[in-house]
Amino acid sequence: MNSISKKATIFKRKKYRSEEKKDMISGYLYIAPFFIIFTLIGLYPALFSIFLAFQKWNGLSPMTFNGLANFQTVLTDPLFWKSVYNTIIMGILGTAPQLVVGLVLAYLLNMAFLKFKSFFRVTIFMPYLTSMVAVALIFSVLFSNHESSLANFVLTNFFGLDPIAWKASEWGTKIAISIMVFWRWVGYNTIIYLAGIQSIPNDLYEAATVDGANKFQQLFYITIPMLKPFIILTVFTSTVGAMQLFSEPTVFLGRDAFTRDEAMTIVMYLYRDAFRLQSFGTASATAIILLVIITVFAVFNLKLTQGFGRKKRGGADE
Amino acid sequence: MKSMKKMAIFGISSLLALSLAACSGNNKDATSDPKDSDEEITLDFWTFGATGYEELAKEYEKENTNIKIKVKSSETADHHDALFTALSAGSGAPDIAMLEIDQFDRFKVAQDRFENLYDLGANDVKDQYLDWKWKSGENTEGDFLFGLPTDIGPKALYYRTDLFEEAGLPTDPEEVATLINSPEEFEKAGLQVKEKTGKPFVDSIEMAFRAYLDAAGTAYLTPDNELNLGADSEVKKAYDYAVRLNDLGIVGKFEMWSPEWANAVNNGEFAAELGAGWLKGWMEGNAPDAAGKWNVATLPTEFAANWGGSYIAVPKETKHAQAAYDFIEWLVSPENQLKSFQSHGLFPSAQSVYDMDEFKSNADEFFGGQATAPVFAEAAQDIAGIPYKGEKYFPIHNEILNALKNVQNEGADPEKEWEAAVKRAQDLLNR
Repeated sequence: MNSISKKATIFKRKKYRSEEKKDMISGYLYIAPFFIIFTLIGLYPALFSIFLAFQKWNGLSPMTFNGLANFQTVLTDPLFWKSVYNTIIMGILGTAPQLVVGLVLAYLLNMAFLKFKSFFRVTIFMPYLTSMVAVALIFSVLFSNHESSLANFVLTNFFGLDPIAWKASEWGTKIAISIMVFWRWVGYNTIIYLAGIQSIPNDLYEAATVDGANKFQQLFYITIPMLKPFIILTVFTSTVGAMQLFSEPTVFLGRDAFTRDEAMTIVMYLYRDAFRLQSFGTASATAIILLVIITVFAVFNLKLTQGFGRKKRGGADE
Repeated sequence: MKSMKKMAIFGISSLLALSLAACSGNNKDATSDPKDSDEEITLDFWTFGATGYEELAKEYEKENTNIKIKVKSSETADHHDALFTALSAGSGAPDIAMLEIDQFDRFKVAQDRFENLYDLGANDVKDQYLDWKWKSGENTEGDFLFGLPTDIGPKALYYRTDLFEEAGLPTDPEEVATLINSPEEFEKAGLQVKEKTGKPFVDSIEMAFRAYLDAAGTAYLTPDNELNLGADSEVKKAYDYAVRLNDLGIVGKFEMWSPEWANAVNNGEFAAELGAGWLKGWMEGNAPDAAGKWNVATLPTEFAANWGGSYIAVPKETKHAQAAYDFIEWLVSPENQLKSFQSHGLFPSAQSVYDMDEFKSNADEFFGGQATAPVFAEAAQDIAGIPYKGEKYFPIHNEILNALKNVQNEGADPEKEWEAAVKRAQDLLNR
């Protein structure tokens, strides 16, 4: 080979390489906006929060390192444990009925004989589209402490019960907020379940009918097991959502939101530390503890839902 | 290719340059008097609530053609949170900011982020303002001035003339003030109202508590940020008084600002409110049925106090400190305080306004033609001072208030509730 052709091949290879590089760079540029924004408003605050958890800082004065003292303060604070308890109770009250009712509603919506299907679908989904703040404000009027509030009117006149101080009693507050969460989210879960039910092939039901299975057996042995991925999804999102409950109780309680403890959730506790008490260190420590709690619940959830799906399938095989 | 690389480098470096520019840029032009120069200056001015400062700013712009003032008004809590965040981040703060007196101590810890108004000429106007109001705008040493005084909230006794009459009490403001001239007389009048009309005297336990609290020389904390809640502290005295009034059955359950409270003000479901000057404006707008039924009298000196009011400060981030100061000095001058009072009810903190005829003769139709301004002016001059509140004033206030509400609503033991509240307050302080 003479030198010219040699040069040509080198040149070619070089060109090829730079072509590859070009692709690479343009690729990175395409994804850059996300990463830049994520770094600025997602990653950086998260890392800074971890750093803050070990500092004492009021937002304006210089920070001082204080080791694990923030965690100690939070973990020994009865109000923190009260907020954990509140979060879990309202999580159970607000989401568990939601999932069961959502499943039933989805099943009913899918019934062949139901008329005005799209009307019901839209109606059930509607609450999810409303503004959270507006909902909380309206609920705070319906469930006011006053004896003549609508909720108390119903209680006293239709059920003959005593009126409840909906914003100042241990269970009244929790129930009112849970009803609000339930009302707003049940439609969302229903639609997910409905999509799931419609994806189940019809031949399964036909085969079951031939084998003589009634509607209930079909529900428990076909519909629910086949819905497993959808159930996992909704349980997962509901749990994480319940752990982060904040706006609903805050708007519902208004002025009392950060002074009363009946409905103080973990995130409200965190917010109170940071923006009412100017204690960003303990607030960050709370955030990290919340991260741990959510992780534990997520793993627990995963194990639970996996187990339940397998069992049912095993049952169906017999 | 090369151009691509160039572009990437250019992009990254310009990003860096931008962020660096955002970090620096704190150089000031404190060279000459801005009034004399033709340089265009734009001042950002953050306010809260209804102040009417927008109109006054326009007036100022007309007189000083090189100055533009952008007024941004928001809700009280949002305003202070936004300002706090901006100051904490070190960027984004306005040239001029209004500060509410109860939020003030939260910002005083950051003296390095504000201009010392004494350096900009504030010493010359010091004598125009009520001494106690001015002092609260300083740091504890008294050599640094955070803000110039705007309005104040002197407290007075708002009372329902119809209920007072029914109870056999005088209804003329002068006579009421002479009769109810001590906490003991206040209590007696309350019992009389309760007995004759069956209605509570004071609207809520918070107001009963604030009777002594607002007037006290010390609040929850000492200037070293230690709890000041011993058995003989002034707060405990206020607490005991509230419990006492509650035991006598003359305290209602109308929590201020709640819809039930608004109704009660309108319909006369309680007889007396220890309210500040600004409550007048609220009543006029929100209690139409009560027109002509409320009057205002001075409180016993033991209860003479200030509730609310603001200052205007200049954050250090500004590039036009002198221009900003000149504007606020003009804005809170006695003449303009009178205008703010007439248009938006901001009660003046400059005492010379109290002698102006437009101020004194301002009869209030809502109060049956009573000229209420002189009553508040008298109250303003009775005030001894404002105690040190500290940055955690409100959280601690809420804890004590919770204790009182438990006493009132659940019949809890006041001493136990007090101890528990003090413990929670200590915990808040440790954060």
